[in-house]
Amino acid sequence: MFERFTDSARGVVYGAIEHSRQAGDACVEEEHMLAALLDAEGTRTSVALAALGFVAGRDEIERGLARARRRGGVSQADEAALADLGIDVGEIVARVEQTHGEGALVPARRTRRLWPFGGGRTGHVPFTPGAKRVLEQSLRETIERGQRHIGDEHILLALTAGPGLVADLLAEYGVTHTTVLKALAPRAQAS
Amino acid sequence: MTEATDLASRAGDRDPRVGLRAVAALRRLLEQLEAVQVRSARVQGWSWQEIAAELGVSRQAVHKKHGRN
Repeated sequence: MFERFTDSARGVVYGAIEHSRQAGDACVEEEHMLAALLDAEGTRTSVALAALGFVAGRDEIERGLARARRRGGVSQADEAALADLGIDVGEIVARVEQTHGEGALVPARRTRRLWPFGGGRTGHVPFTPGAKRVLEQSLRETIERGQRHIGDEHILLALTAGPGLVADLLAEYGVTHTTVLKALAPRAQAS
Repeated sequence: MTEATDLASRAGDRDPRVGLRAVAALRRLLEQLEAVQVRSARVQGWSWQEIAAELGVSRQAVHKKHGRN
């Protein structure tokens, strides 16, 4: 499948691996893929995001992710859905933190083991099931549009296809599968 | 509650996506709540057997899930 990736899509995958390493995480996650997508300039992704008026910086995205993690991985859209059932996530988090300390509900992450002699740095970095799903979905996005090559924009489409925290977070900025497709439309027809 | 928000909320109830999303999110939150409570019980010296009994699951199940923490 990787031979079908364009150079820019490969760049996103390598960038995601690098982001995962820098964060000291054991796996490549969807958020590392998003970070790599946002790094790139002059890509179809950056053009589409600019067209959608997406200007959130990495810091802002990080804050959004941190906020959701503190709520046990519950996004704002999740919170709204739970509020419909009369469940106040903010109240639950406040009470748990009162007893068990700030960040008590943050899901545990596996961190990279730092082997002596730098083995951990050169070793294979696995993708989480969610990140793998994004790669598979990017191929599906490509096939559905009758295109041959998987570009960075297909990775963005796959990320917005969700489910997950990254898709929910992007949606808060108006970046959804539907709006990205619309933003890409003129180019998609040209290629 | 105004009529408009009432209507909106009732419409939301009927949208399966909202209900399903709530269930999935609650499940995720529940997993973290369980981790917090199990950790807290362990810190207070509870055995896996005692924790398992309160949770209504087998000792093996709770140890397998939380044993590394």
